[in-house]
Formats: sequence, structure tokens, C-alpha cells
Amino acid sequence: MRILSLFCFFLLCISTTFGQCINFAKKVGKQQLGDYIHDGNYNATILEEGESAELFKTFFSEQKYRVAISKVEALPDIHMRLLDKEGNVLFDNVEHDYQLTWDFKVESTQMLIVELNVLEREGDSLELINGCVSVMFGLEPTKEKKR
Amino acid sequence: MRSVMTKSTVYILTVMLGAVLLISCNSNQKKQNAEEKDIVESVSVDGKLVDDFKKSKLIFYSLPSPLETAMLIKRAGATYNEDLLNPLSNIDKYSTNRQMALNLGIYSADLSYTSLFDQTQSSIKYMGNAKRLADALGIMDAIDENTLRKLEENIDNRDVMLDIISETFMSSNAYLTENDRPAIAVMVLVGGWVEGLYLATRLTNGSVDNNKRLIDRIVYQKLSLYTVINLLEEYKNNDDISYLLSRITELNEIFEQVEINNTSKIEAETDAETKVTTIKAESEAVISPIVFEQLMKKVKEIRTEFVS
Repeated sequence: MRILSLFCFFLLCISTTFGQCINFAKKVGKQQLGDYIHDGNYNATILEEGESAELFKTFFSEQKYRVAISKVEALPDIHMRLLDKEGNVLFDNVEHDYQLTWDFKVESTQMLIVELNVLEREGDSLELINGCVSVMFGLEPTKEKKR
Repeated sequence: MRSVMTKSTVYILTVMLGAVLLISCNSNQKKQNAEEKDIVESVSVDGKLVDDFKKSKLIFYSLPSPLETAMLIKRAGATYNEDLLNPLSNIDKYSTNRQMALNLGIYSADLSYTSLFDQTQSSIKYMGNAKRLADALGIMDAIDENTLRKLEENIDNRDVMLDIISETFMSSNAYLTENDRPAIAVMVLVGGWVEGLYLATRLTNGSVDNNKRLIDRIVYQKLSLYTVINLLEEYKNNDDISYLLSRITELNEIFEQVEINNTSKIEAETDAETKVTTIKAESEAVISPIVFEQLMKKVKEIRTEFVS
């Protein structure tokens, strides 16, 4: 019975942790898109120092995209690159002071990879920071006036 | 949606479970602000375990959302045709999780399409259906009465309507993903994607010469299909997903006859001042009228099954 209670407590802890990034994505991540319309996809998770993630997405021609990566302040900078499917680097935010919001347009439709790497803090600390990271895609609104 | 690639699944799962428990239950470190109070934590773990844990790489697959697909259709110069939408009255047919999830995606796509073409009354009705299915799937608070009221109050402001739609779609997806129901989340995404493809193919009126830009959008869904298949592969142990994978594989067999080739090297040009990067590449996509006809037929067959 005691073991069962402990197990249930652990499960509760897990579900609580995984349930937190949606609020971060809504309140922090989405704001970075400015006047671009969020595409509605949910790409957020908890990342730790040194961890990396890749996101595969088709970028369509004639559509301008805003990619906005957000992280909790305690996390170190995030290294973001845009790669083609052969791994060629098309954009690297190291060259732009680790900017996490950038606009992209493609002349022909391409499947591209957004690669993220949470940098590690300097020092020998075994204490690892982790926190929510979201990747939001914004679509440039159409210019036409309604009706 | 995400997956984790590891060298030793069992070992890493053990490490991950340990790490998650530590992350989840460890006392919080100093917080930067109230917003981050519950989402920033620190954890001390053994150095070797840390190294192994770091070898894992999270993979996300991002499908064109119903909203993005509707925007692509509209930008391609397509028109509005209400007859193509899944009738609202069909909702009473959906009782299984698979039917409800697929049609939540389908109604979301129809909702996006109606909103982009300013069919506000239809939008409100389709949002109502999306709410009913979300409720039936136990998706808490993604679409509530307040959402419907906000939609009605903003029928003259398309951007606000689109924002409400995108937020409800994200909330549904996040709720399912974060509550250990990723297979249902994938079915919603696949339903939405198939509906977008169905609308696009029907709006060509069956001719590859009718609207070249729209045909182009359809043909390049071959790239998104890679994402769809990868998403489904992740959860193929689920019977519903396994079935959907078999249906989507049939579609893939047709798409494999479509040729997409980059005819020049991909190059990027970045304007640091405007913070815009333009990806320059020439690409050629070819679909024969016969293959297009097969594609239209298969998409209709799959979509008809989903909405029936």
C-alpha cells in the first residue's frame, strides 16, 4: 500500500512537470511572434543545459515565417541553426548574438530543420538547470482588408 | 510532437525516469519571476548519467497546421466552396476515440477555411462542433463557452478570430500530448492534414492545368507526408495509429510518383537589419495528370472514410 502511494505520488510529480510548458508557450512563447499569426502547432518541452532538439518542418514558398524560440530566463543561451535536409547550415544565430526570433522565406518549398542546442554554463557545477523551451511558428498575415 | 532517439532505450529510459523523478520532485531553486516559478528547476545527477542522458536528442515533427494549410490554399487563389466541408450534422456519427480525434482535426481545418474566407457564421458553428468533440475526448478547457463568446464578439476582426482558432488548436494538442495521450494528438493532426489536402485537391476541379499555384501546394505536400509518416511510426503500437499508417502508406505510394528536385544549390541570404533570411533555391515538381487523378481519388477515399 505504501509502495503504491509512493508510486502514485511519483506519477503525479511527472504529470505536473509535463503539464507546465503549455502555459509558458501561451504566455511567453506566443508573444514573441508579434503581429504574425501563430500556426497553432504546439512545440514545447523541458530542456536541460547541453540538450538539443531538432524540428522538421516544410517551409512553403510565398509564405513568410517567423520562428520564435523562447526559454525560461534561467537557462543559458540557445544556439539555433536552420539546416537543409543535407545538413547545410542556412542560418546560425551565433552570428547574430544568439537572437531567438528570426524571419524566413523560401523561394521554393523546402523541408528544413530547426536545430536547437541549450548551451552549458561555464564552471564545474553538477547542478543542471532545466526549463521550458518553446518553438513557435508564425505566419505573416495577409495584407488584404476584410470585406 | 516529439520523439527521443537513444542508443540504449532501456538504459536511457531508466535514466530518464530517474531524471524526471528528480526534476519533478526536487525542491525548487531560486526563481526569476512568478511566471517561471514552476518551470525552472535544478537537479544534481551523476556525471556519467548526465553524459548519457545528453546523448538523447529530441525530435519534433511539425505538420502544416489546419490554419497554415487554409492560408496556403487561399494564397494560391482558391475560392470558397461550402459543399466541400464535412457537414456539421455528421458529428452524431462519431463515438470512438479514432473517429472523434480525426474529426476534431477535420472540423478544425474546416473552421480555419471558413474563417479565412470570412464565413463567420459557419466558423462559429464549426467551432461549436470542435468544442463538442474536444469535450467528448476529455480535452479540458481547450475550447470553452468563453472561447465561443470571444469568437462571436470578434466576427469582424479576422486576425483575432484566427488567433482564437490557433490557440484552441494548440491547447487541444498540448493537453493530449502532456496528458500521455500523444496517439490521440497525432490522430487530430492527421485528420486536419488530410482535410486540408482534400479541400485543396477538390478546389482544383480535377485539372492539373486549372490552378498551377494550388497544384504546386498539393504536390509539395509530399514533403509533409514524410512528417506524417514519421509521426505515425512513433505510435504504431497503437491499433488506431497502425491502421492510419496503412492508409497513409497507400497515399505515399501515389506521392512517390511525384518528382520534386532542387535544380540549384540551396543558398541563404540574411539581412541582419530586418532579421530576415531568404532561402534561395530553384525547385521543380512534376505530377502527371494520371497520377494527379489517382491522388485525388485516394484522398477522397480516405477522407470519406474518416468522416463517415
